[in-house]
Amino acid sequence: MTVSLDIDNIAAHYGSTQVLKDLSLSVKAGELVSLLGSSGCGKTTTLRLVAGFLTPTSGTIRLGDRDLTRLPAHQRDIGLVFQNYALFPHLSVLDNVAFGLKQRKIEPAERTRRAKAMLDRVGLSDFADRLPGALSGGQKQRVALARALVIEPPLLMFDEPLSNLDAKLRVDMRVEIRKLQRANGTTSLYVTHDQEEAFSISDRVAIMNAGRIMQLDAPEVLYQRPANAFVARFVGFENLIPMTVKARDGAKVSAEAPGGAVLTLSEAEFGPIPDRFVLATRADGLSVQHEGAGIPVELGLRTYLGRAYQYETRSSAGSLIANGSLAEPFTTGDRAVLVPKPEQCCILKPEA
Amino acid sequence: MRPVAPDSLDTGLMRNLQKWNLSLPAALAVLLLLVVPVAATFTTTFLQPQGIFAPYLAFFNSGFRRTVLWRTVEVAIITTILSLVIGFLTAYVISKVPGKAKSVMIIAAVFPLLTGVVVRSFAWMIILGKNGILNDFLIWTGLIDAPLAMLYTEGAVIVAMVYLFVPLMILTLVGVLDNIPKDVIEASISLGASPASTFRQVILPLSVPGLIVGAVLVFTGSFTSYATPQLLGGERQMMMGTFLYQRAMVTFDWVGASTVAAIMVVVTIAIVLVMGRIARKLNPMAV
Amino acid sequence: MTDRIHPLLAVFAGLVFIFLVGPLVIMIGASLSDTNFLTFPPRGLTLHWFTHIFEVTAFKTTAITSLQLAFAGTFLSLLFGIPAAYALNRFRVELPSWLSTVYVLPILIPEIVFGFSLMKSVTIDSGFPVGLTLLIGHALLVLPYSVRVVSASLAAFDFSIEEAAISLGSPPLKTFFTIVLPNIRAGVIAAFILAFITSINDVSVSLFLTGPGISTLPIQILAYMEQFFDPTMAAVSVLLMLLTVGVMAIVEATLGLTFLTK
Repeated sequence: MTVSLDIDNIAAHYGSTQVLKDLSLSVKAGELVSLLGSSGCGKTTTLRLVAGFLTPTSGTIRLGDRDLTRLPAHQRDIGLVFQNYALFPHLSVLDNVAFGLKQRKIEPAERTRRAKAMLDRVGLSDFADRLPGALSGGQKQRVALARALVIEPPLLMFDEPLSNLDAKLRVDMRVEIRKLQRANGTTSLYVTHDQEEAFSISDRVAIMNAGRIMQLDAPEVLYQRPANAFVARFVGFENLIPMTVKARDGAKVSAEAPGGAVLTLSEAEFGPIPDRFVLATRADGLSVQHEGAGIPVELGLRTYLGRAYQYETRSSAGSLIANGSLAEPFTTGDRAVLVPKPEQCCILKPEA
Repeated sequence: MRPVAPDSLDTGLMRNLQKWNLSLPAALAVLLLLVVPVAATFTTTFLQPQGIFAPYLAFFNSGFRRTVLWRTVEVAIITTILSLVIGFLTAYVISKVPGKAKSVMIIAAVFPLLTGVVVRSFAWMIILGKNGILNDFLIWTGLIDAPLAMLYTEGAVIVAMVYLFVPLMILTLVGVLDNIPKDVIEASISLGASPASTFRQVILPLSVPGLIVGAVLVFTGSFTSYATPQLLGGERQMMMGTFLYQRAMVTFDWVGASTVAAIMVVVTIAIVLVMGRIARKLNPMAV
Repeated sequence: MTDRIHPLLAVFAGLVFIFLVGPLVIMIGASLSDTNFLTFPPRGLTLHWFTHIFEVTAFKTTAITSLQLAFAGTFLSLLFGIPAAYALNRFRVELPSWLSTVYVLPILIPEIVFGFSLMKSVTIDSGFPVGLTLLIGHALLVLPYSVRVVSASLAAFDFSIEEAAISLGSPPLKTFFTIVLPNIRAGVIAAFILAFITSINDVSVSLFLTGPGISTLPIQILAYMEQFFDPTMAAVSVLLMLLTVGVMAIVEATLGLTFLTK
C-alpha cells in the first residue's frame, strides 16, 4: 500500500524568523523526491515538520488519507534515517532493528524473525549481536536503514544519510538505498546538499533556497532546463548574461548585452524570447571562435580539462567562462568571440 | 594508538626531564601529605598491644558503635535513593526546557551547591526547630497542638542531606542527559515509541553510568559527612563523622578515632568498587 | 517546538525548586527578624544582626583567615596543578596511568579522614605549626579541581599550535605563557572558582586543624551555634550567600553558568 505525501502551504518559524514560506510539495506514491539545497535553505526543517519534530505555523501535511499535521511524532509511522545514524548505543544491532517492531507490540519471536530477515537484506546478519559502537560508519548506516525499513513504513525519510561516509562508500550506499527503496516501492523524501547524490538517486528533485522550492523537476530537466537564474547557477551554469531586446525581425531577435555587444538569436532555435531576459549557459555552451557573430572577449587563463581547454575571458559584459576545442588552442591575451550554442543555452526571466 | 617514536638523544632527555619536573611535585605532595598520613592512621590501628585487630573487635563488639555505623549506612542509603529519584526527574525536566528557562533552573540548582554545608544545614535548623517554621505552620493549621521534636532525629539528618546532595545530582545528570544525542531520541520517537517508552527504553538505560556516578558521590559524601549530622542529629543521632570527631577531640582516643577513620575509608572504597562493578554490569555499552 | 513535559513532572520539578531555594529564602527572612531568637516570617525588620556580626571579633578574624586560606590554598593548588595537568595531556602516553589517580586522591579519601590524619601525623607527630598544616590541607583538598578542570581544558587544546610557536622561535616557557595559558584561560578560571568555593566552605578538613589560636569562618559558625541560636547566624549565612552570588556573577560573566554541567 503505497501512498502519497502531500505538503500543502506550510510555513514554519523559529521564534520570529520565518524559515519556510508557504511551501507545497507532493511526493507521489512510490516516488523518491530529494530536497536539495545549501544549509539553511529549509530542507531539514521540511523533513522535521513531516517527521513531527517541529510543528508548522500554518498549512497541512497529509500522508495518504491521514492528516499528520497535529499528530504526535511517535504515531506518524515514518521510517527515518539520520545523518549521524542515531543508533541506540545500548542496544545490540538486532535490538536496534527490532526496536520499532517492539513499539508496535509485535511478539518477540516474530520481531526477532523479521529483524533478522531485514539484517540479512542489508548484509549484516553476522553482526546481529554486536553493539553499534563496534561497527564501521557504513555498517552503522545499513543498520539505520534496516531499522527504518523493518517497520514497513508508508513513508521513508532520509536526512543527509551519507554525508558522514567516505566518497567510495557514499556511492555504493546510495545505489543500495535506491535499490531497497525501489524494491519496496516506498514513498521517500530525501534531504541532501550533494547535487550528484540527489540527481543520481531521485525521481524528482526540489531545489530549495531561503525557505522556498525554486524548482521541482526530474534531474534531467533541472540539469538541462533550469527554470530560473538561481537553479541555473546551482546546477553549474557559469555564464548568466542579462540581455535586452533591441530589435525583432520575424524570428530573429537582436539583443544587447551590458557593454554593448549585440547578439542575434533565433526564436526558432532558442524558443520564445521576452524583451528582457538572461542568457544562461555552461562553459560548454559558448564556442570560442576567431571571428563571427558573438561576444568579443579577451582571453585570460587557459586550463586543460582533458576533453577541452577552458578559458577565463573578459568581455564588456563581464567575465565569462568558455570551453574551446583542443584542435585550435588560443593563448592568453588573444582576442576572440564567444558564440552561444542554442541547444546548450537557456532563456531565463531576468532576476529581480 | 600512535607509536611513540624514539626521540633523538637531547630532546628525549629534555622531554623526560620536563614531564617528570611538571608532574611529580603535585604527585609527591599528595603522596607525602595525604597518602602517608592516612596510611599512618591505618597503621596505628594494627599496631596495638592488644593484638592486630583489637581496635576493630572493640568497635564491632560495642552495641553503641555498631548502631552508629548502621545508622550512618542507613542514612547514606536513604539519602542516595531519594537524591537519585529527585535529582533524575528534575534533571530530566531541566534537560527538556528551552534555553533561557534552562539557565535559570541550572542557576537555582547551582546556587545551593555553592553555598556552604554549614549554611545549608543551618537553614534546616530554622525550619525544623521546636519553634521552627514547620512546627509553627503545623500548629497554625491545627494538625498538631504541641510542637513536634523534629530536630535531632534521623529524619532531620536525611532531609538536610538530601537537600545537600540533590543539586549535585541534578548537575551531574543534566550533563549526562544533555550528552544523549538528540537524534537518538528522535529515532526512538520516529520508530513509534511514546515519550514514556522513549524515557524507559532509551533515556534511562543511557543514563545508568551517570546515575551510578551520582550515587557514588552522594553515598560517600553522606557517609563521611560531619557538619550536617552534627547540626541536625546532634549527640543523639551520632554518625560516623561526628563519632570520629568526638573520639579524637573530646575523648582524645586516637586509636578509636583512627579505627573509625579506617572503617570509613574501607566502606568508601568498597562502595566505589562495588558500584564500579555494577556500573560495568549495567552499562550496556561496555563491549 | 520543544517536547512536552508531563504536567505532573513539571509540578514535581517546581516543588523540587521550592525545596532547593525555600530554605535559603527563609534564612534571609530570619536574619532580618527583630527578635533575639530565630523565626520566620520575621517579626519586625532590622539590620541589627548584620551589625552584630562585626561586633563579634571572632567572626572578623576567622573570616579573614578563611579568605587568606582560600586564596593561598587555591594559588598553591594551581601552582602545582597546572603543570601536572599540562604534563598529563602533553605526555599522555608516556606517563604511568596511575598518576592521574594520585591527583584526585584528595576527593577520593573522605575529607574528615584526611583532616584527622593530617592533624595527627603532620601537626602532632611531626610538629608542623597548625596554621601551616591548615594551609597544606586546603591546598591538597582543592588540588583535584585544579588538575581536573585545567586538564579538561587542555584536552581540547591543540598542542600543534604550541609546536608551531616553538618552531617560529618562541622559547618553551614563554610559549606556555603566551600560547598555552591564554587558550586554557576558561579552565583556569573555572578551577580557581571551584577551588576557592570548596576551600572557603570547608568544614571537615579544617575541623581538626583549628583551635584557640586559629580558626576558619565555618568552624567559628559551628562553635557559635553551640552557644547561641540567634539571628546572627542567619545574618552570617546571608553574607556568605552574598559572597556566593558575587562569585556566580563572575562565573556567569566570564564563562556562563552552563559550564558547570560539563
